[in-house]
Amino acid sequence: MTPKINFFSIRGQFVYGCAAILAVATAFPFFWMVSTSFKPLQEIFVFPPNFFPAEFTLKNFERLFEQTRFLTYFKNSVFVSFTTVVLTMIIGSAGAYSLTRFKFYGREKIASLILFTYMFAPIMIVIPFYVLIKKIGLANTHAALIMAYTAFCLPFSLWLLRAFFQSIPLALEKAALIDGASRLEAVIYVVLPLALPGIIATGIFTFILAWNDYIFVRILITSDELKTLSVGIADLYNATVIDWGMIMSGSMLITVPVLLFFVFVQRYLIAGWGAGAMKG
Amino acid sequence: MKYNSQKAGILLIAPSVLLICSLLVYPVVYGIWLSLFKKHSFFPDQRFVGLANYGYLMKNSDFWMSVWYGTVYSVSTIFFQIVIGIIAALIVNESFKGRNFVRGVILFPYVIPTVVAIILWKWLLNNQFGLVNYLLLAVGIIDDPISWMGMDHIMTSLILISVWEFFPFVVLSVLARMQTIPPLLYKAAKVDGAGAFRRFIHVTLPQIRNVLFVVILLRSIWMFTKFDTVWLLTQGGGAEKYIRTLPVYAYMRTFMYYQAGMGSALAVIMFIILVAATTIYFKMFRRGEEI
Repeated sequence: MTPKINFFSIRGQFVYGCAAILAVATAFPFFWMVSTSFKPLQEIFVFPPNFFPAEFTLKNFERLFEQTRFLTYFKNSVFVSFTTVVLTMIIGSAGAYSLTRFKFYGREKIASLILFTYMFAPIMIVIPFYVLIKKIGLANTHAALIMAYTAFCLPFSLWLLRAFFQSIPLALEKAALIDGASRLEAVIYVVLPLALPGIIATGIFTFILAWNDYIFVRILITSDELKTLSVGIADLYNATVIDWGMIMSGSMLITVPVLLFFVFVQRYLIAGWGAGAMKG
Repeated sequence: MKYNSQKAGILLIAPSVLLICSLLVYPVVYGIWLSLFKKHSFFPDQRFVGLANYGYLMKNSDFWMSVWYGTVYSVSTIFFQIVIGIIAALIVNESFKGRNFVRGVILFPYVIPTVVAIILWKWLLNNQFGLVNYLLLAVGIIDDPISWMGMDHIMTSLILISVWEFFPFVVLSVLARMQTIPPLLYKAAKVDGAGAFRRFIHVTLPQIRNVLFVVILLRSIWMFTKFDTVWLLTQGGGAEKYIRTLPVYAYMRTFMYYQAGMGSALAVIMFIILVAATTIYFKMFRRGEEI
């Protein structure tokens, strides 16, 4: 452990000053969102603005739940994101296990294919993807969204899980086999528990990606009752006169699940990041 | 360990490969095919037109403007992301009180939904009620409110928001690498009398070079193809045509003019530009090391 920086040195003041600027620049917009979402309508437009709500109200949230389909969007987001995470984790773990434990023809080619497709951006595939989905009659279904997200998250999930599986020593599995465990038992009782932190971290990155997505929903979903949160809120914003209080309360509610997961995963984050997590 | 088995290995990787090939690779290939057709986005009728879509675009000034805006947008956002990202990583690599808190907080912009980021900033930059204009007026930096979403400033606003949203990616990637630099190197440099700046140039920079290579590559690809941040900012301002980058233009052609063939041609052009730029980038900077 390096010693803490002395606050009273010039270097110390510089570091603390920069850290404070960074924290304010990144956190203040969120504070402002929370503050606005608890202000009554007339206070939102007060000039000069109040940093904390002078009068605390939940009216913005009431309007959000009563006048919009926010709850439906929320349910859709939860369903689509969780299905994507489960599918991606099962398919991805199997794939990563195969890439790290078996030797077969074309393994390295598959690894490069994964790395190559990791760089794909949604806009590059979304137009032909839409035409194809329409052809097979899946346009405007959650299945189309789940397919898109699973395919899109697989490359980075595989890449990340592969790194995690590589760090689990083969000797442990061997020992289990010598003790009379079957291959499957060795995987279930030895490999998976050790890989769990990695699988959880990867799962949360996948969740964030699916939860935050805008473009696939915008293009693949047309019915209002099937929309997820991103598009739901964007459409509320574009609807008529902007109800800032309601929009801010909605934005806050979308952000909370992501930040909760994020706080939970933070301790795995830096390790995972080195192996190439997330995209976008 | 020897297992009975090529078979089991292939069986386990098969679903991944199948999904990636059918849902990622095939659409890209199909997009190339599609770009040779005049095709309506909703109705099934299509007519083979060869390279006519590309020919049309080459003579179209909107297309060239979108290439220009896209280049301005990606080059400037990448530059600021990298510079701010490295500085921020250096800061949070120091040990000070509350470091873990700051490390967590600076990642927020990257993990929240883009929709939220855009709405937040539209509110902060609102020309009548926005906090940014209020603060700038109060401090006396400006005399009249700035119209951040107007034609003169919308590109600046877009760059500001994008850098804010994406610089945490650089911080994390660089920080992860910085933590593996042996402290001994810094001690040795100190003994040799190197100041903070020279320690950065001669110790830190060579060590993070390979990570920077990858980070700049990924960020360039993703900024050049960034759709949602740009598109959502264009909504409801009237100045949308001043930030109409290539991805936004491809989207508009497909879903507002219903020209799926033309939209695909634009996506293919994006792909070609990226492959060309990446090849040049590798030739210029990669001197045979592993990334």
